[in-house]
Order: sequence, then structure tokens, then C-alpha cells
Amino acid sequence: MAPVLLGAVPFAFVAGVAATAAGMTPAQGIALSALSFSGIAQLIASQLIAVHSPVVVTVAAAFVVSLRFLMYSASMAPHVAHLDWRWRVLLSFLMTDQSFAASVRHYADAGDTRHRHWFFLGAALTLYTFWQASVVAGVLAGAQVPARWSLDFAVVLTFIALLVPAVRTRPDLAAAVVAAALSLAAAGLPYRLALVVASIGGIGVGLAIESRGRR
Amino acid sequence: MSVWIAVAGVALSTFLLRASFIVFIDPHRFPGWFRQALKFVPPSVLAAIVVPGLLMPEGALDLRPTNARLLAGIVAIVASLRLRNAMATIAAGMVALWGLQWVLARLA
Repeated sequence: MAPVLLGAVPFAFVAGVAATAAGMTPAQGIALSALSFSGIAQLIASQLIAVHSPVVVTVAAAFVVSLRFLMYSASMAPHVAHLDWRWRVLLSFLMTDQSFAASVRHYADAGDTRHRHWFFLGAALTLYTFWQASVVAGVLAGAQVPARWSLDFAVVLTFIALLVPAVRTRPDLAAAVVAAALSLAAAGLPYRLALVVASIGGIGVGLAIESRGRR
Repeated sequence: MSVWIAVAGVALSTFLLRASFIVFIDPHRFPGWFRQALKFVPPSVLAAIVVPGLLMPEGALDLRPTNARLLAGIVAIVASLRLRNAMATIAAGMVALWGLQWVLARLA
């Protein structure tokens, strides 16, 4: 977990800076982070709030970038099905790209898996604490961070670190390439709609190539 | 006020997506193609976020060798393929960006 924490600190700091730069009050920026606990959802929401987008557009864009949680949720579900609903609500709330990746490795290990939710909880709570502390620092630092530090690039780098291991098969690669091309071609669309178009296109092409390979 | 409604909406959508299959529905009640499609969500969404960040740092397509973010991004991708380590990837990309910006500022 230690490397994950080191990566999360600058990312969370950038998310905090972005909330303040978007014109949100410190309370709003901190609430956004404490309740959604997702860097990319926080950043996209901040970008859209900054340009006074309608609430529906802001929420829809955050929803699209968070669709990957559906896949994480489906993979985690069998491992936590034996827990009562309060545990499952808590673990869902704390799920992140990083804790999902850590738990998948953990659940892949042989042995008794019935008590592994304690591992997941410990890892997730540690990340939550570091994340929120860095967001608060970013919210308070706000515009004082010089642009030439390019700290916002830590966000792109975090997603590169998630994207590369997520591309394992040819259909994965095709989905990523098509989504990338569409995200550039549709970049002129308002309200970050390019992200929606690109994601749907990538998923469609991945599915099409995989189903053709099976025939 | 509308900012608070947006905050609540974003919080609710992220929670509902995370809790979808863990709390509310059994994934096996969905057709096979739907579960297949879920696999392609991370590569698609992540590529759609990463690639414009590298190729359109100022909002317009920039394929010139002076695009420091593109070059630093390539360094990070190679680091990720080689090292399979998130922290090393982020560190390599950040150091590459700072180094390239330093060099480009002196060439300009």
C-alpha cells in the first residue's frame, strides 16, 4: 500500500487545488472529496462547476468517468457476498482504483478468504485518511501553487499507471486505441461529451473484436 | 446552492456505481454481453482521459517535439510497461516533465 499512498498524495492535492480554482468554497471542496472519494470524479466535477455547467451535466460527466466502478463492483461481489449489508455498504463506499487492484491480488492468493474484508477495510481506510488530508491541503493552498510546477500532470500520470496494466488482450488494446482516437476527434463537443462518445465507442469495438475472435 | 446539489449528485452517483453489484444486484442476473462489456470500461475510459491530456495539453492537438507532456507521457508508459509499478510510473513521468520543461525553456 505504501507506493499507492505516495501516488495518491499529489493527486489528491491537485484535486483540492482544482476545487478551489473552480470557485468552490472550502466546505464544498472538502465535502465533494469526503463524500465521493474519487479523484477523477472530483476533478471532472470541478472543471464543469468552474464553467457554470448545469448540475445535470456535471453529475452525468462524473457518472461516466465512474462507470469503471461497475466493473470493480461486479468482480468484488462474489468475494464479499457472505458479509452483511452494512459491511458491503462500507466496502463499496471506500472502493477505489487502488484498493480494487490491491484486493484483486490479495483474493488471488490461496487460503482462507472469509476474513479478507479486514485487509480491504484497513487498506481503504488508510488511503481515505491520506487522501482527505491531502485534499484539505490542496483546497487551502488553492491558487498559491505555481502553475509552472505542473502538478496537474500527476493526474494524467496516475491514469497512465492504471491504463497500462488494464490493457492485457488485443480487444483491450483495440478498445483503448479507438477510445483515444474518438476522444481527440470529438474534443470540440461541449461538456466533456467527448469522454462519453469515446468510452462508448471503445467498449463497442472491444466487444465486437472479442466476439469475432470467438467465432 | 447549485454547487451543493452537484456535490450531492456526484457523491450519490459514485456510491451507486460502487455499490451496484456488491449491495444491490447479483451480476449473474445480467446477460453475458453486459458482463463482457464491463471488462472494456477501464481501458476505454482511462484512454479517453489520458490521451487528450498528452496530445492536447493546451486544448488543441500538439504533436510537435516541444510538447513536453507528450514526451513525458511516453516515458511514463514505457516505465509502466517495464516496471509494473504505479509509483515509479508517476515519479518517472513527473521527473521527465520537469527535465524537459527545463531544457525547452533554455532552447527557446
